[in-house]
Amino acid sequence: MADTMGHSATATRNTSLAIGIVLLALAPQIFEFIWSIGTLFGWGSGRGPATVLISHATALLAGAPGAAFGSFGADAKKALSSDVLLALIYSYPLFAVAILTLFMTIRAPQDYIGGIVLMAVALFALWASSDLHGMQGFKFGAGTAPRMFGGLLVALAAAIALTGLLNEGAGLSHYSWRGPLFVMAAIVFFALAIRPLGLIVCAFASFLIAAAGSHETRWTEAVIVGAFLTLGCALLFPYVLGLPMPMFPRFLVQ
Amino acid sequence: MVDLFHNLGLGFGVVFQVSWWSPWWLFGLSLPISINILMCLIGALVGTLVGVLPGIGTVATVAMLLPITFGLPPVGALIMLAGIYYGAQYGGSTTSILVNIPGEATSVVTAIDGHQMAKQGRAGPALAIAAIGSFFAGCVATVLIAVLGAPLTKLALAFGPAEYFSLMVLGLIFAVVLAKGSVLKAIAMIVFGLLLSMVGSDIETGASRMAFNIPELADGLGFATVAMGVFGFAEIIRNLDAGAEMNRDLVQQKITGLMPTRKDLIDSAPAIGRGTILGSILGILPGGGAVIASFAAYTLEKKIAKNPSRFGRGAIEGVASPESANNAAAQTSFIPLLTLGIPPNAVMALMVGAMTIHGIVPGPQVMQKQPDLVWGMIASMWIGNLMLIIINLPLVGIWVRLLRVPYRLMFPSIVIFCAIGIYSVNNAPVDVILAGVFGLVGYWLIKHDFEPAPLLLGMVLGPLMEENLRRALLISRGDWSVFVTRPLSAVLLAVAAALLVLTVLPVLRAKRDEVFTESEN
Amino acid sequence: MKSVRLLARACVAATAALCAFVAPAAAQSYPTRSIIMIVPFAAGGPTDVVARIVTAHMAQTLGQSIIIENVVGAGGTTATTRAARAANDGYTLITGHMGTHAASVPLYPKLVYHPEKDFEPVALLAGTPILILARKDFPPKDLKEFVAYVKANAEKVNAAHAGVGSVSHVSCELLHSILDIKPVGVPFNGTGPAMNALVAGQVDYMCDQIVNAVPQINAGTIKAYAIATAERNPSLPNVPTTAEAGLPAFQAQAWNAIFAPKGTSPAILASLNAAASKALDDGAVRKRLLDLGSVIPAPAERTPEALAALVKAEIAKWTPVLKPAT
Repeated sequence: MADTMGHSATATRNTSLAIGIVLLALAPQIFEFIWSIGTLFGWGSGRGPATVLISHATALLAGAPGAAFGSFGADAKKALSSDVLLALIYSYPLFAVAILTLFMTIRAPQDYIGGIVLMAVALFALWASSDLHGMQGFKFGAGTAPRMFGGLLVALAAAIALTGLLNEGAGLSHYSWRGPLFVMAAIVFFALAIRPLGLIVCAFASFLIAAAGSHETRWTEAVIVGAFLTLGCALLFPYVLGLPMPMFPRFLVQ
Repeated sequence: MVDLFHNLGLGFGVVFQVSWWSPWWLFGLSLPISINILMCLIGALVGTLVGVLPGIGTVATVAMLLPITFGLPPVGALIMLAGIYYGAQYGGSTTSILVNIPGEATSVVTAIDGHQMAKQGRAGPALAIAAIGSFFAGCVATVLIAVLGAPLTKLALAFGPAEYFSLMVLGLIFAVVLAKGSVLKAIAMIVFGLLLSMVGSDIETGASRMAFNIPELADGLGFATVAMGVFGFAEIIRNLDAGAEMNRDLVQQKITGLMPTRKDLIDSAPAIGRGTILGSILGILPGGGAVIASFAAYTLEKKIAKNPSRFGRGAIEGVASPESANNAAAQTSFIPLLTLGIPPNAVMALMVGAMTIHGIVPGPQVMQKQPDLVWGMIASMWIGNLMLIIINLPLVGIWVRLLRVPYRLMFPSIVIFCAIGIYSVNNAPVDVILAGVFGLVGYWLIKHDFEPAPLLLGMVLGPLMEENLRRALLISRGDWSVFVTRPLSAVLLAVAAALLVLTVLPVLRAKRDEVFTESEN
Repeated sequence: MKSVRLLARACVAATAALCAFVAPAAAQSYPTRSIIMIVPFAAGGPTDVVARIVTAHMAQTLGQSIIIENVVGAGGTTATTRAARAANDGYTLITGHMGTHAASVPLYPKLVYHPEKDFEPVALLAGTPILILARKDFPPKDLKEFVAYVKANAEKVNAAHAGVGSVSHVSCELLHSILDIKPVGVPFNGTGPAMNALVAGQVDYMCDQIVNAVPQINAGTIKAYAIATAERNPSLPNVPTTAEAGLPAFQAQAWNAIFAPKGTSPAILASLNAAASKALDDGAVRKRLLDLGSVIPAPAERTPEALAALVKAEIAKWTPVLKPAT
């Protein structure tokens, strides 16, 4: 709780913050690019990495500025691709925030960053709901409520960021990597393995992966407890509660 | 009155109906057993078990166990399902208090003060008061169903879309009052929750909203998924942080008495009473009334307390009142089902399914046509509550002893139970991964001092609010004035406005008094 | 006890694995293990009830248990997608209905399966008649008056439905397209809330399945104008058919049928169809289905060919009705 890292608002700190925000502004594009690499190996569906890279780059560098400074007519807006909209709705406002950050004295980094990330979430939601219909006469369209809440969250997040500039407050907390990494690894392993490997293998392995998240873990003890827990789950869920759940690895059963 | 006693007599007669059981190993001797009592006990036990397991909520439980009851006689089947339903309500508070994982929207509020109490070594009193409050509320609500069931039905019919919308607005204000820290951040979290609740398909057009073509998102984010993430997984990840061990060890050493002290009981008695009244009224409203019962009760306690700052830091009223309210609401939500034949929520819809399978189609005449079923169920509710308190009070000792399990063994176990629980709800692996992602989100929220409770409440209320707003406007052809011209709706909005002013004013005043905001940590 | 059973299971599993190695052509005596029946709606719903009643009898005939797996979501299309992608070995089946295997085609343009191309029809199980219902103080007295009233007040009346893609939604769309009107549709989250609003008089009328409506009609809390089938239903003998009441064009039934993934072997399909048909001839099964107000298909309507024809006809029927709505 108390691992604040001081309140220094030095220039170097601000630059790294600004770079962080720029990265956040490009996060969806980067994510789609990484995701698209999978399509090369035939996993998932979607655009290939080259298409993703080119279309986002053109959207960021050419399409969006053109649209932003060009006509704002209704027909022009319809023609915009979703990549350009992403750049326009999500990335550009965050670029602007990143530039502003460079010139600010941040008194409460915890609030400031918190506000900015929430703002990014809200902007992303605005983009994600931009393809939905708005009001049609007295009928709410599908997109009305999401856009309303998205806009409200942008405003609230901006207000939180502003309090971070105006009021003295807590600094950034320390994040540890070990706990999140192994707990997430256990969860992801469980999700991927429950169907092919069945409950017994999956629960036991996930238990051990999760246990690696703490440096206090004693392995013999963990293996024994894990084994008993797995046995307990194997009896409890399918038999006592009657849940349809695969028990053993698929290749053994068939 | 005579009628009432006659009916209750009929009900208890049904429940205690004795049949003779002569197994071969008794060589011709017969044992008297009551199948319905047995069903009630099994239901209560299974409900408690499932309520305690993180991840599996009441709806999921009843849905999963519904097929088991198909082979039973109809009255027994319904008694067992009802037992599972309120057994899960009792059990759900246990997980909220011990490990801060609410499995149900109604126990989010219990987690706030209940888990704080556990951290202070007072898990025993918290669990016990939750059980006592639930029992009291259950008894009162059962009597209410028996006495006033039919007239109260009018309330359920008086609530149209406009009234529900106003009720949900009031609910959102409750969510603001819940917050212990910054009001601004709490509001932001509510709106974040509202935004998350928009994921899924649009109710009017069926258009897919923010689902990114992921089939598992087509129906929106599940409450359990997000709750397990931002409460369960996030709490675990946070506890694994370097330096957090000290806090945990402290908790384990501090465990004091198992039962509430005299002072605890005196403090919580009025809170239990108020929670029961609020819960009983809100529970009757179909479609979302019961959801806001527990936090309406919490808000009321916080507002009338002499020292509201105790709330969020282990106030026993903060456990007693919402727990009574949600159990009362759980019971009175049977009213629309028994008098109108219309299921007010998902669990009741499943009960209707169970009845249909047994060839009973519930309707407005079910009370006249199937008096043994209706009154048997009402009587079984009281017996079920009695059983639950008998089961739960001795269990308190066992649960508290669980807290002494070293955390290095505890946390992987919680991870596994949560993962299995989430998976079992829809048999969907993607849900488990989503919960993990929300665990990281929750970890981030903790680091930036955002509270997860308002987020979850926003998520629960969001769809109810939007749907009812749109319904009201569709029916009124876009005329917004319906919300103030309909008297019930206007009253609810006025209460919401007053509450908002009451909440925001002190904050503004405090800001003026001390320029530097309190650094709470 | 439990661990003994577990051990036994492990042995059985090991033996089974061994057998699979020795004799790969084990499909002759289908079924050799339990069958999973996916139900695309929650337990206790109309489709689930029909599926459970029929499969319980089918399991006896086939000599293997049939496990019902309720998979909810997106109007049943989540479950149907899963069934379409399942192995076509006859061990994963689905109880589809009018929504998942016909109305979904025009309703969900991004649907990843096609009811005709991705499924083998097995057998039609039951049809559930649809009624035109209204709040009890709605002015029109019979169907003719209703048609005239709704046409004259198309701007004012409200039709409730239980959500996009639900039976109550699509059948009312059909009614509206026949009457050539576009009244305001008020969406509710399921049949329960919609019925509540109708009983409370907050909305004017709706079209719904007979199961939910009978007790309310008998109690006089709502009224029924007509039943959209060729014959009157025994559970509501006083409600005229649409043909009798003057709107013969409005014919709609919510039907339930078993489907298997495409490519399932004809022998398996035949044995499943025989088991389903046998179940529908069983007295107890018939009684329970009739109690629900269902219409049990005659033997000629139970063949896979008849079901294939029904699916084709239904898609053709709903596509023009629902296309402009989305």
